Amino acid sequence: MSELRQIAFYGKGGIGKSTTSQNTLASMAHYFDQNIMIVGCDPKADSTRLILHEKAQNTILQMAAEMGTVEDLELEDACKPGAGMFAPDAPGGWINCTESGGPEPGVGCAGRGVITAINFLEEEGAYEEDGLNFVSYDVLGDVVCGGFAMPIREGKAQEIYIVMSGEMMAMYAANNISKGILKYANTGGVRLAGLICNARMTDREYDLAWALARELGTQMIHFVPRNNIVQHAELRRMTVVEYSPSSDQALEYKELARKIIANDMKIIPTPLEMDDLEDLLMEFGLEEEVLEDEVGKAAEA
Amino acid sequence: MFILGFHFPADMGNTVPDEKVVEKLDESGVDFGTVSEIKMVSEAHGVKEELSYTNKDTFLFKALVHYAKTAETDYMIYTNRYQMSELSKRIDSDDETMALCKKFDSMALFRIEAA
Repeated sequence: MSELRQIAFYGKGGIGKSTTSQNTLASMAHYFDQNIMIVGCDPKADSTRLILHEKAQNTILQMAAEMGTVEDLELEDACKPGAGMFAPDAPGGWINCTESGGPEPGVGCAGRGVITAINFLEEEGAYEEDGLNFVSYDVLGDVVCGGFAMPIREGKAQEIYIVMSGEMMAMYAANNISKGILKYANTGGVRLAGLICNARMTDREYDLAWALARELGTQMIHFVPRNNIVQHAELRRMTVVEYSPSSDQALEYKELARKIIANDMKIIPTPLEMDDLEDLLMEFGLEEEVLEDEVGKAAEA
Repeated sequence: MFILGFHFPADMGNTVPDEKVVEKLDESGVDFGTVSEIKMVSEAHGVKEELSYTNKDTFLFKALVHYAKTAETDYMIYTNRYQMSELSKRIDSDDETMALCKKFDSMALFRIEAA
Protein backbone atom coordinates (compact mmCIF):
# COMPACT_ATOMS: atom_id res chain seq x y z
CA MET A 1 0.00 0.00 0.00
CA SER A 2 1.36 3.45 -0.91
CA GLU A 3 1.94 5.97 1.85
CA LEU A 4 -0.90 8.39 2.58
CA ARG A 5 0.01 11.92 1.46
CA GLN A 6 -1.56 14.85 3.30
CA ILE A 7 -1.58 17.96 1.15
CA ALA A 8 -3.11 21.38 1.64
CA PHE A 9 -4.13 24.23 -0.62
CA TYR A 10 -3.58 27.62 1.01
CA GLY A 11 -4.08 31.08 -0.43
CA LYS A 12 -5.77 34.38 0.18
CA GLY A 13 -9.57 34.54 0.18
CA GLY A 14 -11.09 34.87 -3.28
CA ILE A 15 -8.02 33.65 -5.15
CA GLY A 16 -9.86 30.59 -6.52
CA LYS A 17 -8.45 28.11 -4.04
CA SER A 18 -11.52 25.91 -3.72
CA THR A 19 -12.10 25.91 -7.47
CA THR A 20 -8.48 25.07 -8.20
CA SER A 21 -8.26 22.42 -5.51
CA GLN A 22 -11.50 20.66 -6.50
CA ASN A 23 -10.64 20.66 -10.21
CA THR A 24 -7.14 19.38 -9.49
CA LEU A 25 -8.29 16.70 -7.06
CA ALA A 26 -11.01 15.67 -9.52
CA SER A 27 -8.30 15.17 -12.14
CA MET A 28 -6.15 13.18 -9.73
CA ALA A 29 -9.10 10.88 -9.07
CA HIS A 30 -10.49 10.62 -12.58
CA TYR A 31 -7.35 10.45 -14.73
CA PHE A 32 -4.89 8.91 -12.28
CA ASP A 33 -7.10 6.65 -10.12
CA GLN A 34 -6.20 8.36 -6.85
CA ASN A 35 -8.54 7.95 -3.86
CA ILE A 36 -8.93 11.20 -1.96
CA MET A 37 -10.56 12.65 1.15
CA ILE A 38 -11.19 16.41 1.06
CA VAL A 39 -11.26 18.20 4.39
CA GLY A 40 -12.70 21.65 3.78
CA CYS A 41 -11.29 24.08 6.36
CA ASP A 42 -13.12 27.19 5.24
CA PRO A 43 -16.08 28.43 7.33
CA LYS A 44 -18.06 29.08 4.15
CA ALA A 45 -17.91 25.33 3.42
CA ASP A 46 -17.42 25.52 -0.33
CA SER A 47 -14.49 23.11 -0.65
CA THR A 48 -16.59 20.13 -1.74
CA ARG A 49 -19.64 21.49 -3.59
CA LEU A 50 -18.32 20.73 -7.08
CA ILE A 51 -17.49 17.15 -6.14
CA LEU A 52 -20.84 16.60 -4.39
CA HIS A 53 -22.96 18.60 -6.88
CA GLU A 54 -24.45 20.37 -3.87
CA LYS A 55 -24.77 23.97 -2.70
CA ALA A 56 -22.89 23.50 0.57
CA GLN A 57 -22.27 20.37 2.57
CA ASN A 58 -23.48 20.21 6.18
CA THR A 59 -20.42 20.90 8.28
CA ILE A 60 -19.06 18.95 11.23
CA LEU A 61 -19.47 21.92 13.57
CA GLN A 62 -23.01 22.56 12.36
CA MET A 63 -24.07 18.94 12.84
CA ALA A 64 -22.30 18.68 16.20
CA ALA A 65 -24.17 21.80 17.36
CA GLU A 66 -27.48 20.31 16.24
CA MET A 67 -26.79 17.02 17.99
CA GLY A 68 -25.38 18.62 21.12
CA THR A 69 -21.81 17.32 20.90
CA VAL A 70 -19.33 16.04 18.34
CA GLU A 71 -19.30 12.64 20.11
CA ASP A 72 -22.88 12.08 18.91
CA LEU A 73 -21.81 12.48 15.31
CA GLU A 74 -21.27 9.47 13.02
CA LEU A 75 -18.63 9.42 10.28
CA GLU A 76 -21.27 8.63 7.62
CA ASP A 77 -23.05 11.88 8.52
CA ALA A 78 -19.95 14.02 8.23
CA CYS A 79 -18.06 12.35 5.40
CA LYS A 80 -20.00 12.03 2.15
CA PRO A 81 -18.96 10.15 -0.99
CA GLY A 82 -18.53 12.24 -4.11
CA ALA A 83 -21.24 12.34 -6.78
CA GLY A 84 -21.03 11.23 -10.40
CA MET A 85 -17.59 10.10 -11.52
CA PHE A 86 -16.20 10.53 -7.98
CA ALA A 87 -18.55 8.02 -6.35
CA PRO A 88 -16.98 4.86 -4.87
CA ASP A 89 -18.60 2.61 -7.49
CA ALA A 90 -17.64 4.75 -10.51
CA PRO A 91 -14.56 3.91 -12.60
CA GLY A 92 -11.32 5.63 -11.51
CA GLY A 93 -10.54 6.97 -8.07
CA TRP A 94 -13.13 8.08 -5.53
CA ILE A 95 -13.40 11.24 -3.45
CA ASN A 96 -14.86 11.52 0.05
CA CYS A 97 -15.90 14.96 1.25
CA THR A 98 -16.09 16.64 4.60
CA GLU A 99 -16.32 20.25 5.76
CA SER A 100 -15.19 21.47 9.17
CA GLY A 101 -17.38 24.56 9.18
CA GLY A 102 -16.86 27.49 11.50
CA PRO A 103 -18.51 29.70 14.08
CA GLU A 104 -21.12 32.36 13.37
CA PRO A 105 -19.50 35.46 11.88
CA GLY A 106 -17.92 37.57 14.60
CA VAL A 107 -18.06 34.81 17.21
CA GLY A 108 -15.40 32.30 18.18
CA CYS A 109 -12.36 30.92 16.41
CA ALA A 110 -12.52 29.16 13.03
CA GLY A 111 -9.33 27.29 13.86
CA ARG A 112 -11.09 25.46 16.66
CA GLY A 113 -13.58 24.13 14.14
CA VAL A 114 -10.76 22.90 11.95
CA ILE A 115 -9.03 21.03 14.73
CA THR A 116 -12.31 19.63 16.07
CA ALA A 117 -13.07 18.30 12.60
CA ILE A 118 -9.63 16.77 12.09
CA ASN A 119 -9.67 15.10 15.51
CA PHE A 120 -13.16 13.73 14.85
CA LEU A 121 -12.13 12.32 11.47
CA GLU A 122 -9.03 10.71 12.98
CA GLU A 123 -10.95 9.15 15.87
CA GLU A 124 -13.58 7.79 13.51
CA GLY A 125 -10.93 6.18 11.28
CA ALA A 126 -11.52 8.34 8.20
CA TYR A 127 -7.77 8.45 7.52
CA GLU A 128 -7.53 4.67 7.56
CA GLU A 129 -10.00 3.98 4.82
CA ASP A 130 -8.83 1.23 2.50
CA GLY A 131 -7.08 2.54 -0.60
CA LEU A 132 -6.95 6.18 0.51
CA ASN A 133 -4.02 7.90 -1.28
CA PHE A 134 -4.45 11.59 -0.46
CA VAL A 135 -6.02 13.76 2.22
CA SER A 136 -6.44 17.31 0.99
CA TYR A 137 -7.09 20.34 3.20
CA ASP A 138 -8.52 23.47 1.63
CA VAL A 139 -7.64 26.32 3.94
CA LEU A 140 -8.70 29.96 3.87
CA GLY A 141 -6.47 32.85 4.70
CA ASP A 142 -2.90 33.95 4.83
CA VAL A 143 -1.93 32.41 8.19
CA VAL A 144 -2.04 35.70 10.08
CA CYS A 145 -4.73 33.88 12.06
CA GLY A 146 -3.19 30.96 13.94
CA GLY A 147 -6.48 29.11 13.62
CA PHE A 148 -6.07 28.71 9.92
CA ALA A 149 -2.56 27.38 10.48
CA MET A 150 -4.06 24.44 12.40
CA PRO A 151 -3.48 21.80 9.70
CA ILE A 152 0.19 22.89 9.65
CA ARG A 153 0.60 23.38 13.39
CA GLU A 154 -0.87 20.03 14.23
CA GLY A 155 1.39 18.29 11.74
CA LYS A 156 -1.52 17.12 9.61
CA ALA A 157 -0.83 18.77 6.26
CA GLN A 158 2.71 17.92 5.20
CA GLU A 159 2.80 19.25 1.67
CA ILE A 160 1.54 22.77 1.00
CA TYR A 161 0.51 24.20 -2.35
CA ILE A 162 -0.07 27.93 -2.33
CA VAL A 163 -2.65 29.17 -4.81
CA MET A 164 -1.71 32.70 -5.88
CA SER A 165 -1.82 35.08 -8.82
CA GLY A 166 0.23 37.97 -10.12
CA GLU A 167 -1.62 40.47 -7.94
CA MET A 168 -0.08 42.28 -5.02
CA MET A 169 -2.26 40.88 -2.22
CA ALA A 170 -2.00 37.33 -3.54
CA MET A 171 1.79 37.65 -3.55
CA TYR A 172 1.74 39.14 -0.06
CA ALA A 173 -0.43 36.26 1.18
CA ALA A 174 1.81 33.66 -0.49
CA ASN A 175 4.82 35.12 1.28
CA ASN A 176 2.94 35.20 4.60
CA ILE A 177 1.85 31.58 4.25
CA SER A 178 5.49 30.71 3.60
CA LYS A 179 6.36 32.42 6.89
CA GLY A 180 3.78 30.20 8.61
CA ILE A 181 5.26 27.09 7.01
CA LEU A 182 8.76 28.14 8.04
CA LYS A 183 7.59 28.61 11.62
CA TYR A 184 6.37 25.03 11.92
CA ALA A 185 8.74 23.31 9.47
CA ASN A 186 11.16 22.03 12.06
CA THR A 187 8.63 20.89 14.64
CA GLY A 188 5.94 19.42 12.42
CA GLY A 189 7.71 18.48 9.21
CA VAL A 190 5.49 20.61 6.98
CA ARG A 191 7.04 21.63 3.66
CA LEU A 192 6.21 23.99 0.79
CA ALA A 193 5.61 21.93 -2.36
CA GLY A 194 5.00 24.72 -4.85
CA LEU A 195 3.03 27.74 -6.00
CA ILE A 196 0.03 27.32 -8.27
CA CYS A 197 -0.63 30.47 -10.28
CA ASN A 198 -4.38 30.75 -10.79
CA ALA A 199 -3.93 33.38 -13.44
CA ARG A 200 -5.74 36.68 -13.58
CA MET A 201 -4.09 37.11 -17.00
CA THR A 202 -2.20 40.23 -16.00
CA ASP A 203 0.99 41.36 -17.75
CA ARG A 204 4.08 39.22 -17.06
CA GLU A 205 2.12 37.12 -14.57
CA TYR A 206 4.07 33.95 -15.31
CA ASP A 207 7.41 35.73 -14.83
CA LEU A 208 6.25 37.34 -11.61
CA ALA A 209 4.93 34.08 -10.14
CA TRP A 210 8.19 32.35 -11.04
CA ALA A 211 10.26 35.15 -9.56
CA LEU A 212 8.43 34.79 -6.24
CA ALA A 213 8.76 30.99 -6.37
CA ARG A 214 12.53 31.28 -6.88
CA GLU A 215 12.86 33.69 -3.96
CA LEU A 216 10.92 31.31 -1.74
CA GLY A 217 13.15 28.42 -2.84
CA THR A 218 10.31 26.51 -4.47
CA GLN A 219 8.78 25.98 -7.91
CA MET A 220 5.80 27.48 -9.70
CA ILE A 221 4.36 24.07 -10.38
CA HIS A 222 1.67 25.16 -12.79
CA PHE A 223 0.18 28.24 -14.40
CA VAL A 224 -3.59 27.76 -14.67
CA PRO A 225 -4.99 30.10 -17.35
CA ARG A 226 -8.31 31.82 -16.90
CA ASN A 227 -11.11 30.20 -18.87
CA ASN A 228 -14.87 30.85 -18.72
CA ILE A 229 -15.57 27.13 -18.86
CA VAL A 230 -14.61 26.98 -15.15
CA GLN A 231 -17.51 29.31 -14.31
CA HIS A 232 -19.86 27.45 -16.64
CA ALA A 233 -19.03 24.19 -14.85
CA GLU A 234 -19.45 25.85 -11.44
CA LEU A 235 -22.96 26.99 -12.35
CA ARG A 236 -23.82 23.31 -12.66
CA ARG A 237 -21.89 22.59 -9.45
CA MET A 238 -19.38 20.51 -11.34
CA THR A 239 -15.66 20.41 -11.92
CA VAL A 240 -14.43 21.06 -15.46
CA VAL A 241 -13.13 17.49 -15.56
CA GLU A 242 -16.69 16.23 -15.27
CA TYR A 243 -18.44 19.03 -17.17
CA SER A 244 -16.16 18.93 -20.21
CA PRO A 245 -13.44 16.29 -19.93
CA SER A 246 -12.04 16.97 -23.40
CA SER A 247 -11.81 20.73 -22.96
CA ASP A 248 -8.53 22.66 -22.98
CA GLN A 249 -9.03 23.61 -19.34
CA ALA A 250 -9.51 19.98 -18.29
CA LEU A 251 -6.10 19.30 -19.87
CA GLU A 252 -4.56 22.06 -17.75
CA TYR A 253 -5.95 20.54 -14.54
CA LYS A 254 -4.90 17.07 -15.67
CA GLU A 255 -1.32 18.27 -16.13
CA LEU A 256 -1.33 19.93 -12.70
CA ALA A 257 -2.69 16.72 -11.18
CA ARG A 258 0.04 14.65 -12.84
CA LYS A 259 2.70 16.95 -11.47
CA ILE A 260 1.34 16.93 -7.91
CA ILE A 261 1.26 13.14 -7.90
CA ALA A 262 4.88 12.99 -9.14
CA ASN A 263 6.14 15.97 -7.13
CA ASP A 264 9.08 15.34 -4.84
CA MET A 265 10.14 18.95 -4.28
CA LYS A 266 9.19 19.73 -0.72
CA ILE A 267 11.25 22.49 0.85
CA ILE A 268 11.49 24.74 3.86
CA PRO A 269 10.68 28.13 2.33
CA THR A 270 12.78 31.27 2.53
CA PRO A 271 10.16 34.04 2.81
CA LEU A 272 11.01 37.56 1.73
CA GLU A 273 11.30 40.55 4.01
CA MET A 274 8.63 43.16 3.26
CA ASP A 275 11.15 45.50 1.55
CA ASP A 276 12.32 42.69 -0.74
CA LEU A 277 8.75 41.75 -1.62
CA GLU A 278 8.02 45.38 -2.48
CA ASP A 279 11.16 45.52 -4.63
CA LEU A 280 9.95 42.44 -6.49
CA LEU A 281 6.52 43.97 -7.03
CA MET A 282 8.13 47.16 -8.26
CA GLU A 283 10.36 45.25 -10.66
CA PHE A 284 7.24 43.81 -12.29
CA GLY A 285 5.29 47.07 -12.23
CA LEU A 286 2.79 46.16 -9.51
CA GLU A 287 4.02 49.01 -7.37
CA GLU A 288 5.51 52.31 -8.44
CA GLU A 289 8.58 53.84 -6.93
CA VAL A 290 7.77 57.06 -5.12
CA LEU A 291 10.27 59.79 -4.30
CA GLU A 292 10.78 60.18 -0.56
CA ASP A 293 9.54 63.82 -0.56
CA GLU A 294 6.32 62.81 -2.39
CA VAL A 295 5.18 60.29 0.23
CA GLY A 296 2.01 61.52 1.94
CA LYS A 297 1.65 64.49 -0.42
CA ALA A 298 -1.80 65.06 -2.02
CA ALA A 299 -2.05 65.26 -5.82
CA GLU A 300 -3.04 68.94 -5.69
CA ALA A 301 -0.46 70.01 -3.16
CA MET B 1 10.59 20.38 -10.42
CA PHE B 2 8.89 20.26 -13.81
CA ILE B 3 10.09 21.86 -17.03
CA LEU B 4 8.33 21.24 -20.35
CA GLY B 5 6.49 18.47 -18.52
CA PHE B 6 9.73 16.62 -17.69
CA HIS B 7 10.34 15.78 -14.06
CA PHE B 8 13.67 16.79 -12.55
CA PRO B 9 14.46 15.34 -9.11
CA ALA B 10 14.12 17.67 -6.12
CA ASP B 11 17.84 17.44 -5.31
CA MET B 12 18.52 19.49 -8.47
CA GLY B 13 16.86 22.45 -6.75
CA ASN B 14 14.64 25.04 -8.42
CA THR B 15 17.13 26.18 -11.06
CA VAL B 16 17.69 23.30 -13.44
CA PRO B 17 20.51 23.92 -15.98
CA ASP B 18 19.23 24.44 -19.53
CA GLU B 19 21.47 21.65 -20.88
CA LYS B 20 19.63 19.14 -18.66
CA VAL B 21 16.35 20.10 -20.34
CA VAL B 22 17.96 19.72 -23.78
CA GLU B 23 19.23 16.29 -22.67
CA LYS B 24 15.68 15.25 -21.76
CA LEU B 25 14.44 16.32 -25.19
CA ASP B 26 17.23 14.37 -26.90
CA GLU B 27 16.51 11.27 -24.82
CA SER B 28 12.76 11.46 -25.42
CA GLY B 29 12.85 9.22 -28.49
CA VAL B 30 11.09 11.79 -30.67
CA ASP B 31 12.44 11.89 -34.25
CA PHE B 32 12.96 15.61 -34.78
CA GLY B 33 14.31 15.15 -38.32
CA THR B 34 10.99 14.13 -39.82
CA VAL B 35 9.37 17.51 -39.17
CA SER B 36 10.10 20.48 -41.40
CA GLU B 37 7.51 22.97 -40.20
CA ILE B 38 5.57 23.79 -37.07
CA LYS B 39 2.18 25.32 -37.74
CA MET B 40 0.44 27.21 -34.99
CA VAL B 41 -2.72 29.22 -34.51
CA SER B 42 -2.88 31.82 -31.77
CA GLU B 43 -6.14 33.23 -30.50
CA ALA B 44 -6.70 36.30 -28.35
CA HIS B 45 -9.91 38.31 -27.91
CA GLY B 46 -11.51 36.34 -30.75
CA VAL B 47 -8.73 37.23 -33.22
CA LYS B 48 -6.90 34.27 -34.76
CA GLU B 49 -3.43 34.38 -36.27
CA GLU B 50 -1.77 31.58 -38.24
CA LEU B 51 1.93 31.11 -37.64
CA SER B 52 4.61 29.01 -39.27
CA TYR B 53 8.02 28.23 -37.79
CA THR B 54 10.73 26.44 -39.74
CA ASN B 55 14.02 27.27 -38.07
CA LYS B 56 15.20 23.71 -37.50
CA ASP B 57 18.49 24.64 -35.84
CA THR B 58 17.02 25.99 -32.66
CA PHE B 59 16.12 24.71 -29.22
CA LEU B 60 12.63 26.11 -29.72
CA PHE B 61 12.04 24.01 -32.85
CA LYS B 62 13.08 20.87 -31.00
CA ALA B 63 10.83 21.71 -28.05
CA LEU B 64 7.88 22.43 -30.34
CA VAL B 65 8.32 19.22 -32.31
CA HIS B 66 8.51 17.26 -29.07
CA TYR B 67 5.35 18.92 -27.81
CA ALA B 68 3.43 18.42 -31.07
CA LYS B 69 4.41 14.77 -31.24
CA THR B 70 3.74 13.83 -27.61
CA ALA B 71 0.83 16.03 -26.48
CA GLU B 72 -2.67 14.58 -26.16
CA THR B 73 -4.27 17.32 -28.27
CA ASP B 74 -3.20 20.34 -30.33
CA TYR B 75 -3.80 22.67 -27.35
CA MET B 76 -0.60 24.10 -25.92
CA ILE B 77 -0.39 24.00 -22.14
CA TYR B 78 0.41 27.56 -21.02
CA THR B 79 3.15 26.58 -18.55
CA ASN B 80 5.02 24.59 -21.21
CA ARG B 81 4.75 27.40 -23.74
CA TYR B 82 6.06 30.01 -21.30
CA GLN B 83 8.91 27.70 -20.33
CA MET B 84 9.80 27.11 -24.00
CA SER B 85 10.02 30.85 -24.50
CA GLU B 86 12.03 31.36 -21.31
CA LEU B 87 14.62 28.76 -22.32
CA SER B 88 14.70 29.74 -25.98
CA LYS B 89 15.50 33.34 -25.08
CA ARG B 90 18.60 32.06 -23.28
CA ILE B 91 19.65 29.41 -25.80
CA ASP B 92 18.59 30.74 -29.22
CA SER B 93 19.34 34.14 -30.66
CA ASP B 94 17.90 34.57 -34.18
CA ASP B 95 15.25 37.19 -34.87
CA GLU B 96 12.57 34.77 -36.10
CA THR B 97 12.78 32.73 -32.90
CA MET B 98 12.83 35.80 -30.65
CA ALA B 99 9.74 37.12 -32.44
CA LEU B 100 7.93 33.85 -31.77
CA CYS B 101 9.04 33.90 -28.12
CA LYS B 102 7.50 37.33 -27.77
CA LYS B 103 4.20 35.97 -29.08
CA PHE B 104 4.47 33.01 -26.69
CA ASP B 105 4.80 35.39 -23.73
CA SER B 106 1.32 36.75 -24.35
CA MET B 107 -1.95 35.56 -22.79
CA ALA B 108 -3.16 34.21 -26.16
CA LEU B 109 -4.18 30.59 -26.56
CA PHE B 110 -2.06 28.53 -28.98
CA ARG B 111 -2.75 25.40 -30.99
CA ILE B 112 0.08 23.48 -32.61
CA GLU B 113 0.66 21.00 -35.40
CA ALA B 114 3.83 19.39 -36.77
CA ALA B 115 3.98 19.27 -40.59
